[in-house]
Amino acid sequence: MIDTRPSSQAIFFELASEALWDATRRRIVPMIAFVSLVSLLAVDSCTSCGTGQITANGEPVPLSEIAGWTGMLVIASLSMWMMVLAGILASDHLAEPLDDGSANLVLARPVPRSAFAGARLAGALAIAMATALVVLGCSAGLLHLRNELPLLPVVWAGLACAAGSIVVGSLAMTMSLKMSRVATALLVLVFVGSVTFINSFGLTGMQFGALGTVIQFVTPPLCSAVVLALAPWTDPVVPDLDPVVLTLKLIAWVFIGLAALWLTFDRFEISQ
Amino acid sequence: MNVFDLEGVTKQYGRRAALRDFDLSLAAGESLGLLGPNGAGKTTAIRLLLGFSKPTRGSVRLRGLSPLDPASRVGLGYLPERVRLPDRMTIRALLFHHAALIGLTGAAADLEVNAALEQTGLGDRANERIGSLSKGLTQRAGFAQALLGSPDLLLFDEPTSGLDPIGVRDARDWISSARERGCTVMVSSHQLSEVERTCDRVAIVNEGQVIASGPIDSILSEGETLEDAFIRLVRQ
Repeated sequence: MIDTRPSSQAIFFELASEALWDATRRRIVPMIAFVSLVSLLAVDSCTSCGTGQITANGEPVPLSEIAGWTGMLVIASLSMWMMVLAGILASDHLAEPLDDGSANLVLARPVPRSAFAGARLAGALAIAMATALVVLGCSAGLLHLRNELPLLPVVWAGLACAAGSIVVGSLAMTMSLKMSRVATALLVLVFVGSVTFINSFGLTGMQFGALGTVIQFVTPPLCSAVVLALAPWTDPVVPDLDPVVLTLKLIAWVFIGLAALWLTFDRFEISQ
Repeated sequence: MNVFDLEGVTKQYGRRAALRDFDLSLAAGESLGLLGPNGAGKTTAIRLLLGFSKPTRGSVRLRGLSPLDPASRVGLGYLPERVRLPDRMTIRALLFHHAALIGLTGAAADLEVNAALEQTGLGDRANERIGSLSKGLTQRAGFAQALLGSPDLLLFDEPTSGLDPIGVRDARDWISSARERGCTVMVSSHQLSEVERTCDRVAIVNEGQVIASGPIDSILSEGETLEDAFIRLVRQ
């Protein structure tokens, strides 16, 4: 008998590479490529405006003065779309092998459940993050070349987007253990939409009473974190947010998402 | 020491009890045939042993550990009733994937993968994609992954389903050769003749309970075949 047991890292990397391979073969991947291309064309169109006139309070505003706001809107919108993508990819990347029974042979090996779930999440997120890298990178490049916006804020926005993708992906994967994949994908759209809406109100600095404050506090700062990262583009107008608190909150949500997935999958009855 | 013990296990699915006060154990080196009609609870017992589900009541131990502990599954080969393998993989890639999961790399993995392919007669088809294989060949590939690394415990759930008569005979030979090297084997099957030929003990399960167990001879009445005894006990 072979009584060796690979290290946890070796098991994880073996499963993650398999999960990544599996993710690249998903029917949704060509659709992601197509929508990403359309997104980039839209960004190209949005940033190519060299002439024109915008008037505010009866005074003409040079296009260069609104370039930062345009850039923020573009990068924030794309970041939220990337988080949706992470959620949709994750919504069946664990559920599918459990449903069709192909996970059984793997889980009959000395494989911890946490490694299996983590690897499936990593596989889905790798596709989402690679897409985000291309889409956000190209968009940032266009904004830099055409509007001379600095690149560093996009790096921070990209990191915030990656953290948000982990939150959305892990929560979607958790919910996929409890509900159908279509319902989970719809829930992802509703969740990211609601969070964006709530975060956007928070960015205005308006007060919403005790309940509103609680909702603002517990809602993951998925959109706020991206916007805050891009604040140098709209300087001197910057959102009234504490970067330390926001970062800690985002990190806490990453842990909450991963813990929810591991605890739920640990108790999950494999029925196929 | 027993390889596994299920003691007083009850498993409820909603109001339905798949297992009720179920007791079963298997000592190292033994081979056990788990027999029972459809829905008797055989697959549920195997799922509990693999940690796929948890008992509602009672205790399940695999190698003295909780089945939820991955260490309990070291050296275990498993073949489910419905083998589902990744379509896009070749048989060889599947076996290397499983070899990595049991800690085999490099030359050791090459050796074990080739041995499993040779044993199951898949050497010539090792580079074919699983999606292109017939049901019988997929079952053989399932056997190859279960036998990979010479496990010391084999759990088979209806292992001969989908195999032609030659495949059934081959499967019997693979199980016999595993037994000869001291492997502990549990086979859940409807094929009473197969169990009779490959196992030295049987446990007959009906409605979630073990209704008879022991060496095959001990449960047969005068002049009875195993099939006669099975039908008599299940109908009692």
